[in-house]
Amino acid sequence: MSGAGFLLDLHRCVGCGACVLACRIENGRVLATAWRRVLPLNLGRQPAGPTYFLSVACHHCEEPACLAGCPSRAYEKRPDGVVVHHEERCLGCRYCEMTCPFGTPRFDEDNGVVSKCHLCVHRVDAGLLPACVGACPTEALRYVPATAVPPADAVRFVPGFVDPAGCRPALHFRTPAGTRRVELFRHLGEALRR
Amino acid sequence: MPAPRTIRTVCPRNCYCTCGMLVSLDEHDRTVRIEGDPGNSATAGHVCLKGLSYARRTTYPDRILTPLRRRRRGNGFDPLTWDDALDEIVARLLATRDAHGPTAALYYEGSGSHGALGGLSMAFWHQFGGCTTTFGDLCWPAGLEATRLTYGANLHNHPRLTTDSRFILIWGHNPAETNVHQWRLILDAQARGATIAVIDPRKTDSTDAADVHLQPRPGTDAALALGMARVIVDAGLHDEAFLAAHAHGFEAYRRRLADYPLDRVAGLTGLDAGAIRALALDYARTSPALLIAGFGLQRHHRAGQTMRAVALLPALTGNVGVAGGGWQYANLASHCLRELPLPPEPPGMRAVPVSQVARHLETLNAPPIRAAWIERGNPATQNPAAHRVRQALGCLDFVVVVDQFMTPTAELAHIVLPAKTLFEEEDLVTAYWHPYLQWRAKILDPPGDVRPETEIWRALCERCGFDTRYFPTDRRAFLRSLLPVGHESAIDELPLRALDLSGHGDVAFAERRFPTPSGKVEFECDEASTRWGVDRVPEYVPLDEGCDAPMRTRFPLQFLSCKTRDRIHSQFGNLDWVRDVERPHVLDIHPEDARPRGIVDGARAAVWNDRGRIEVTARVTPGIRPGVVHVLEGWCHDGDPDVNALTDEGVTDMNHGATFYECLVEVAPA
Repeated sequence: MSGAGFLLDLHRCVGCGACVLACRIENGRVLATAWRRVLPLNLGRQPAGPTYFLSVACHHCEEPACLAGCPSRAYEKRPDGVVVHHEERCLGCRYCEMTCPFGTPRFDEDNGVVSKCHLCVHRVDAGLLPACVGACPTEALRYVPATAVPPADAVRFVPGFVDPAGCRPALHFRTPAGTRRVELFRHLGEALRR
Repeated sequence: MPAPRTIRTVCPRNCYCTCGMLVSLDEHDRTVRIEGDPGNSATAGHVCLKGLSYARRTTYPDRILTPLRRRRRGNGFDPLTWDDALDEIVARLLATRDAHGPTAALYYEGSGSHGALGGLSMAFWHQFGGCTTTFGDLCWPAGLEATRLTYGANLHNHPRLTTDSRFILIWGHNPAETNVHQWRLILDAQARGATIAVIDPRKTDSTDAADVHLQPRPGTDAALALGMARVIVDAGLHDEAFLAAHAHGFEAYRRRLADYPLDRVAGLTGLDAGAIRALALDYARTSPALLIAGFGLQRHHRAGQTMRAVALLPALTGNVGVAGGGWQYANLASHCLRELPLPPEPPGMRAVPVSQVARHLETLNAPPIRAAWIERGNPATQNPAAHRVRQALGCLDFVVVVDQFMTPTAELAHIVLPAKTLFEEEDLVTAYWHPYLQWRAKILDPPGDVRPETEIWRALCERCGFDTRYFPTDRRAFLRSLLPVGHESAIDELPLRALDLSGHGDVAFAERRFPTPSGKVEFECDEASTRWGVDRVPEYVPLDEGCDAPMRTRFPLQFLSCKTRDRIHSQFGNLDWVRDVERPHVLDIHPEDARPRGIVDGARAAVWNDRGRIEVTARVTPGIRPGVVHVLEGWCHDGDPDVNALTDEGVTDMNHGATFYECLVEVAPA
């Protein structure tokens, strides 16, 4: 069993930003400390590849670097795999900003501590979906509970994403299948690797 | 913490989706959550970025909360009381009427907020003795008329039947941005094996996900449709049984197709003949096939004939009246409300085409326009020739603008009145994609000195001594009286769920009965000729300002100004929450066009024609067809001139639409 996490279907995501706003509303975040971001790739629409969007927040890694590098034990990995940050224990040392390869923890200048996505555990524990997942109008972003296995065609790496080796993030991607976009996608991956 | 209370309502913006929404408020009436209402089976439990942003928009710091009066000298506005504002408005409007006649006052309403109560403004103007108002529509009327002439009514299948389709042809439309709930269904159909083809001169989020993408020269869609029809008929793939029973004038249409051999159509459209042929054959051979047409291919003055040509393809292939098939343009099934009871229309009302407001503000005589009232709209950036609209409004004796924010139009007003938001007055909202009539709930009292427009009009009527019985005292009872005969009791159910009161069923034209004069699908249509003066059979006629126009020697590039997911025209663009994630405001230009002009990616570029000039940052991209350039419309919050400094005041061949995409320009480094 792997931990709870997100599944992002790159063919369905249109980068609309509803997930970013839903997270901000649910968790009271301003832009500077927003937990979810949408990273567009190939907005210039180069012909070799499709434009696609990485909607990313915390990946609730199997081996969380934030937790390993935190001197104040502000991070906790719950039995269901969710990595929770306890602000009241945070020193504001910002080590986790350096150790997390994904740039997930966001430092808040106003209160001097970092914060990050907690997979809406308050909602998930009440049987609801994380706010971002619930808001996704194309159902591109999904929640995979710890008790479920990601679909067989899900992958851990796509072009533009940080190499997942080491931390083993619980974020899975679905890349398009059976469409013209597969070829475009492969070309873009090759172009980015060069 | 007490549990938030949750209220069902609807988004009233000018958008396909018209989402059912669940708004949750805490004990201080703060909006803590906005979610989609799963009870609306088309929008299915989701809203979009813009819908979520109401949690910010309704309490935004910039919102106008009191009446404002422009300072006599210098810039800026000062607050004033409603009594002072209404006194001044009544005095100025009556003085205008008494000196010049009632039609010296222009009443302009835009599409900024949909609801049945919006029409009550006419209870004032009819008693005022009339006014000058607008007719036609900036957006979609040519396609509506073409559909009505062809099929007899603007109806289409319930959106959920999209997933039954095996082939979806999307034409001049970008649902991944502008109809995101339809896009979810299209992706579901694709996942079940349907082929997705998109016709669009631009590469978009929709074309990226498609299996087939054709990029024709803008304005040549009629030729493409007739060329595809020719391929289909030549291959014997037309549905002879359907046509024999349900087509009117097919032989005349078939003769017309002789003018559209594949090689000619390839030349006209700038497409590969093989690609046109393959698309036509795949569309005709795969059943059921759904054709979804957007508004983009009818924003030029040959719009009606273009839309007739395209709208006939589903009938030609027998895809009408079947689940997963059909012609999808606009679904007016929810437009079933009774007419508002209004005082009789006075003689001498005057109306001008809405796409030509600038011209008429400048030149109208006997009497000229001296005063204007503008609500739910922002013509100073959104109408064709917007810079001239702006200038002309600035020259009027008296302008009133009702809005939530200081738009470029409101900046020109003498008096600005604060407008309610969707949370602050009940109403009934119709849609144009799904069949649902929805209840817009009153969730909050208007903040500050805000009054709903219905109360503004009532107060004006009171001050003028006009009859006020046209205005609701009990809104629920009033709205109940607008429901279709026999459905009055639906007023109790509407606050709970979206309702389809049309009785049309999920499949449009399932009985194959068409309310046209012939009772059939009209391939040849007398009314097209008698009413609009166009040929009875659809044809391709080059645009005066299109890809083959003589004017191209001076202005060689076709300019498109399409819609973005981030705004509804110029709405939402002022909000920080939206600007945080919005698309860049750039000029898309192909490398082949950029290179000889010295346009560099990321540098400022000037775009101009004889009508105007704007400056935008260039994005050199192969994602647009050579010869075509593009800037998203509706960006007007940084003082940048809007794209409509460039657009023309043309009128479509049918139904008085605007011609935003018939616009030639030249580009150079700024």
